[in-house]
Amino acid sequence: MSSSIGAASAEASPPRTVGHPTPLVDGVDKVTGRARYTADLPHADALVGMILRSTVAHGTIVGIDVSAARALPGVRAVVTGDDFAAPYGVIPIAQNEWPLARERVRYRGEPIAAVAADDRASAEAALAAIVADIAPLSPVFTAQDALAEGAPLLHRDKAGNVEREVAQDFGDVDAGFAAADLVRERRFHYAEVAHGQIERNAAVASFDPERGELTSRSTTQVPYYLHLAIARCLGLDRAQIRITKPFVGGGFGHRVEPLNFEIVAAALARAAGATVRVEQSREDSFLTHRGRPETDIRLRLGLRAGGEITAVDCEVIQRGGAYAGYGVVTILYAGALLHALYRVGAVRYRGLRVYTNTPPSGAMRGHGAVDVRHAFEALLDEMGGELGLDPFALRRANLIEPPWRTANDLQVNSCALAACLDRVEEASGWRERRGKLPRGRGLGLACSHYVSGAAKPVQWSGEPHAVVNLKLDFDGSITLLTGAADIGQGSSTLLTQVAAETLCLPIERIRVVAADSALTPKDNGSYSSRVSFMVGNAALRAAEALRDTLVEAAARTLGVAATEVVWQGERCLVRGTDRELDFASVVAAALAGTGTLTVKGVWTTPSEMQGGRFRGAAVGSTAGFSYSAQVVEVAVDEETGAVSVEHVWVAHDCGFAINPLAATGQVQGAVWMGMGQALQEETQYHEGLALRPNFLDYRIPTIAESPPIDVTLVDSLDPLGPFGAKEASEGSLHGFAPALTSAIADATGIRLMALPATPDRVLDAIVRRRREARLESMRANRAAAAAGERTNP
Amino acid sequence: MTIDATTPRFEFRRAASVGEAVQWLATPGARVHAGGTDLVPNLRRGLERPSIVVDIGGIAGLAGIAWRDDACAIGATVTLARLAADARVASTYPALAEAAAAVGAPAHRSAGTVGGNLCADTRCVHYNQGAWWRGAVGGCLKRGGDVCHVAPQGRRCHAAFCGDLAPALIALSAELDVASYGGVRRMAAVDLYRDDGAAHLALLPGELVTAVRLPPPDGVSGYRKARVRGSIDFPLAGVAIALRVGQRSIERAIVAVTGVGPRPVVVGTEAIVGRRVDDETAALLATRVEQSVKPMRTTATPAAYRRQVAGVLAARLLRTLAA
Repeated sequence: MSSSIGAASAEASPPRTVGHPTPLVDGVDKVTGRARYTADLPHADALVGMILRSTVAHGTIVGIDVSAARALPGVRAVVTGDDFAAPYGVIPIAQNEWPLARERVRYRGEPIAAVAADDRASAEAALAAIVADIAPLSPVFTAQDALAEGAPLLHRDKAGNVEREVAQDFGDVDAGFAAADLVRERRFHYAEVAHGQIERNAAVASFDPERGELTSRSTTQVPYYLHLAIARCLGLDRAQIRITKPFVGGGFGHRVEPLNFEIVAAALARAAGATVRVEQSREDSFLTHRGRPETDIRLRLGLRAGGEITAVDCEVIQRGGAYAGYGVVTILYAGALLHALYRVGAVRYRGLRVYTNTPPSGAMRGHGAVDVRHAFEALLDEMGGELGLDPFALRRANLIEPPWRTANDLQVNSCALAACLDRVEEASGWRERRGKLPRGRGLGLACSHYVSGAAKPVQWSGEPHAVVNLKLDFDGSITLLTGAADIGQGSSTLLTQVAAETLCLPIERIRVVAADSALTPKDNGSYSSRVSFMVGNAALRAAEALRDTLVEAAARTLGVAATEVVWQGERCLVRGTDRELDFASVVAAALAGTGTLTVKGVWTTPSEMQGGRFRGAAVGSTAGFSYSAQVVEVAVDEETGAVSVEHVWVAHDCGFAINPLAATGQVQGAVWMGMGQALQEETQYHEGLALRPNFLDYRIPTIAESPPIDVTLVDSLDPLGPFGAKEASEGSLHGFAPALTSAIADATGIRLMALPATPDRVLDAIVRRRREARLESMRANRAAAAAGERTNP
Repeated sequence: MTIDATTPRFEFRRAASVGEAVQWLATPGARVHAGGTDLVPNLRRGLERPSIVVDIGGIAGLAGIAWRDDACAIGATVTLARLAADARVASTYPALAEAAAAVGAPAHRSAGTVGGNLCADTRCVHYNQGAWWRGAVGGCLKRGGDVCHVAPQGRRCHAAFCGDLAPALIALSAELDVASYGGVRRMAAVDLYRDDGAAHLALLPGELVTAVRLPPPDGVSGYRKARVRGSIDFPLAGVAIALRVGQRSIERAIVAVTGVGPRPVVVGTEAIVGRRVDDETAALLATRVEQSVKPMRTTATPAAYRRQVAGVLAARLLRTLAA
């Protein structure tokens, strides 16, 4: 793909832009408050949109009477489920959710009607005037209850409330266990967690009745999927819709599927023939949910005496909530990513995704693989102890050497896990300190990995995985047009760097216009860590194409062959002479006769990276896996159960850090988010009602308990990644929880089988162990006494 | 700040004097505003629907810390940040300074006041929720309903008082100045509270806590707080102890616990007075604390843990103070 000219210029100078810590191109806008987020958009004439939620967990909608609400002054539109043409869902085969409930409600907090009014008071009055007649049905709140014989069904077509059952066998699992020197089985439980993205949900939708056009601006990570969902649910032609994404304050997966509020905003705008603004509360975020599901895991591992993993038998049950969402993908990820971190012998995976009367779970940073990784690493740590193997030695006994094809047909092209292990072993002082710390202090290690973009997008259209356009005009500026949604992760900066590097130009020449369906090429969105890899590759190719065009124009002007032009960006030279041309002259030459130039770069994941041929094989497949190792040091207060994280050392193989500043921040953020889930975050329901729908009870860590996180970025120069880059923002999340619980085990001997490790859970485990120890010594004493009686009658 | 849908409308009045404030506060449904860290979230959630809100932040004479020998008077609108940073308070009444420093996060402390922390509303996971949420459960005994979701059989509200200062002030034998139209009455800090989560303050309409009066310290003191996070969180349990240890043994001990019920619990210390401070005495105190406090399921964290940890904190603090 790379031209000979490009190769020549790359030789001429070391990287000038990529590989250097680069402040975010939109950073100044954000810190000065100039950046406009959805709720900041100035639409003084916008109507106030509000949504009514069901207080019933499970029930049949007998009727929703909106006539009184419609008759109120200031009320411009009232909509219900009947106003939509079709249900939605991000997975085409599992679209069973209506923007406003139809026929049935399935969780407490499900939207059932919405209003648009001149002001907030009128909108509130209208909501209060809506009469919802809902006949209650028996609800099921836990996976166990939903799977029970005779449990009420949430969806008629889903027997047993099972959304998806996965059964995958790779290799001879029984033989693998037979060959093992140590086999252990454990059960684990993980609380449901939520994203805690800082920006609350908001949408501003406008409808132009004359032209029949709808414009939507909202807090989304996936403008394209939202585009499809609005078209589908409102029965509009896709060409009648324009989606733009303003600045977005974090996503973490909350926004990787179209959400009810943004489709409802569009429906209200159409019904009112106006602009409608929907702004939601923090409680609304928790009720909309889409977080990581409550999960139960049974895991059995077989190890040889030297630590080699011979067999894996894993069963995962996820409480999916009321609707499908990403559920099918989540339960498949949990099994797929048992592979590709280590050589794992034979693998049996059983997964159950279950419908319950709770808010729908969805994708969350580290999608599907986080809880399973904890179980896996925690059991490895325990078994390593039994075998007398150091945790590092145990991991080193199972390293993958690329290129490597896993049993489930995932392709590993680059892997620097060995180097990651070396780095954190040294940085943490593991060899000198482990086992020598004072009581209550401990060190734990865990590894993890993640995909750099799902190789098969959920909306399979046959199009390339990513497209970037570059526009060059008379002023010598280059506009990079991308559908990729920068949600704070720094994708616009990264794409700027990639283009600037390839063109040998300063980043100031390049501006990014992102995520406006009327201007930018379609993009699947910011999820599965796909943007750096896929869109980065498209940007690289677009920049190469533009450079080739410019070099040819320069060659024409200079009267030499293109191969004689040495491209240096702001100027170019004729090889071996002092004849040169400045950039402005090259631009003028390139535009002469053609005018404004627009070039395109595309990226398609090679087919051998797109997974195997079995059912569900696409999930987990990717062109590049990141790898990570981390050591956590804890202090445990054995009287209060309080766990304090003292230090984290993490090494992340991101292939090549295009922007080390942003990549370091992303790795720290991933570790920190893993810490929240591991230590203290959990949702909780009281008869299906979210008990912690606020940031006081949903306890995201504060800076007070945040440890130093030392990040080392490790290069592996992936053969397919742009400049060798892979993902940097998810893979280090998975490792935190198991490193933490292993450190707690090192400090106290206690192995936590349930997360989060809140003080009450830790103290319970400590008290339980003391009780068991007392019982044990009592039994031993009795046995000794009995033995004494026998010998001394 | 986005005002919630349910935020009520009310009249906001700035009082220039205590006299003006107490006159307005006699209006049924009136509420006091100083730092606003407790009242404003409750207003936004529609938990409070006051007729008028009386701001006392501008009243001269309520914002001072005055010393007379080693006795101290602290005005009601002194901020928690100032109290926590005051060197003389820290050396004279360590329990008070430690309690002030343990409230919320820095932003809360820079706005929140002594009077506000003493008179803060009680809290419950079934009460501190939005309007839709409370509607979904039909309200509760404390507001808008007739069932306590913590103890559905009972007729009592179990919402917990979670102020950090109160146990410290109780342990330090503080008194309060309570102003009203009729003048100023003085009451022991412990008498400010009633054992009813729905009406936990023993103040009459038109009464305002204007100052805290501390006698010279009688021994040493300290405050310890259990919470999940290192900042922001209300206490799962908070323990204050004032302790005088003679040559050999404990001569006097006052132990008060917050966050475990509608009012701070004063723990009887007869069992430890006269004993030397050792592991056994500390364990004895822990047991007494665990027996005295009866937290209910008013927080997402299990009540049993709050009881256990209160005992642990008390035992630890005792040993630290005697060391």
